[in-house]
Amino acid sequence: MKNSKFKIITIAFIAAILTACGGDDGDQGPAGVAGPSGPAGPQGPTGPSGDPGPEGPTGGFGAFNVSLTNLTHGQPMAPVAIIVHEPGYNAFVSGEAASLGLENLAEGGSPDLLISEAQDSVAFLDAVASSGITGPGATTNMSTVFIPELDLDNVRISIATMLVDTNDAFAGINAKDISNIAIGESITFILPVWDAGTEANTETANTMPGPAASEAGGGGASAGFNATRDDLANAVRIHAGVVTNMNSTDASMEGLSTSVLNQSDRFDNPGARITITRTR
Amino acid sequence: MKLNKLAIASLLSLSAIYSAQAVELEISITNLTQGNYFTPRLVVAHTADADLFEVGTEASTALAWLAEAGVIQDSQNSASSGMNFEAILGPADTDNGSNTWHFFGGLVAPATTLTYASFDTMDKPYLSIASMLIPTNDAFVGLDSIEIPTEAGTYNYYLNAYDAGTELNDELNSTRTDIQEEGGAALGGYGLPGVAGAGAEPIAPSMGTGGNGVAAKVGLAADGSALAVASEVIDGTDGPVHIHRNTLGDTASDMGASDLDSTVHRWLNPVAKVTIVVPAS
Repeated sequence: MKNSKFKIITIAFIAAILTACGGDDGDQGPAGVAGPSGPAGPQGPTGPSGDPGPEGPTGGFGAFNVSLTNLTHGQPMAPVAIIVHEPGYNAFVSGEAASLGLENLAEGGSPDLLISEAQDSVAFLDAVASSGITGPGATTNMSTVFIPELDLDNVRISIATMLVDTNDAFAGINAKDISNIAIGESITFILPVWDAGTEANTETANTMPGPAASEAGGGGASAGFNATRDDLANAVRIHAGVVTNMNSTDASMEGLSTSVLNQSDRFDNPGARITITRTR
Repeated sequence: MKLNKLAIASLLSLSAIYSAQAVELEISITNLTQGNYFTPRLVVAHTADADLFEVGTEASTALAWLAEAGVIQDSQNSASSGMNFEAILGPADTDNGSNTWHFFGGLVAPATTLTYASFDTMDKPYLSIASMLIPTNDAFVGLDSIEIPTEAGTYNYYLNAYDAGTELNDELNSTRTDIQEEGGAALGGYGLPGVAGAGAEPIAPSMGTGGNGVAAKVGLAADGSALAVASEVIDGTDGPVHIHRNTLGDTASDMGASDLDSTVHRWLNPVAKVTIVVPAS
């Protein structure tokens, strides 16, 4: 830096000397007009070719058949919500409050609102609800979901179905990884039974929608969803099982006298199994 | 310049050595029960030479202290000194050769999650966790020697409830004074079942009273014959460590078989979810 400054000072000094040498000669005349512009140069070489465009959609979808087997002794299961998605969506999270859609499914059996909540997620890929009730020991008809081939390397599945002779129990899995399944290959998951945490487990006829409640003079849609959240904790956890009215009048007083359930309605984990097969 | 480069190079090699020795795990525990609390958690990273519990094997006295009273270390209950896990494993937060462990205090309420930001494994390959379920006689939730993943990522484990087998599941509220152990001693065994160890919030108030016992009955011997003292309960053991058969409970708060509530204090497995985050090294 010091060097540079010194040079600038020197140049300025020399210029001053040159000016001083101007002498007595006449004034220099004005500069001449600019000449005409030259001819255009030759065309330059062709530029490099541009980057290839993004890969277009292949139009291809992977297809997955999903079926659920009810592993309980006596609990019918409501239509099954089957949702495939990318990471980022959760049908439920243990220890956290259930969504309104899950509350609807777990108390009333309807998968519709849970599926429409999933459709609002940017991670959503596809969803389907199985039709009708799946009895104890029975397997649902095959449901099919489609996943764009571009998404097959990072895909999750969430499943939920109500145990209809309960207040708010559902069998389910959340965001299980089913990426990179080859065509023809199958994968199975076992489903624990969860308590949605949205309704007290009173096991009474007017709080459960299923046949056990119907036989006792209640049940049906009016005994299903109820917006009030009055469970021990408003959070999803593993279901503790139904207490039932067995042994409610003997000295042990173990049972719940107001329950319309009996020993045949009891269950343990796992409550269901699903099988997923990629067909194309 | 050369000096500087050398200094940076040595710092880099030091940090490489450091990360190889110390893996800081983030550990979350979710209580999946609806009505049982988890007492302070014993979290242990260990070699194959340490084991908190083994199914099919008699529980250690240290496990009995944990499963019956929620006690892990002397500071919780001095009567456990020399017999608790602190005595077996060595001091907390120290490299004890075969293990290093940490006491995670406080209770985990039903259907809640607690996260511990960092647990230094001191390069031990296995991880185990144990915590008492209260109120119970001797139920505990356990993670049994899982291999700590070395690849960065998030890993989930579902844990079962075990019966330590060191106490009969009478389901009687140990704060009761109307009944006694054989010989007239106050109920309790190791500490107070149903009540967390010292320093933890007591849970007994959520229990009933007046029950006449489940796996052991007030005033009755194991064969059903009447005891000389009608207010006594004869305790015993019920085998090696095994999967807990769940509590019975009842729906009466002042009578019936149990002082537990069958609509609250039951569970089905799994009773806990543990999530481990292994950081990128």
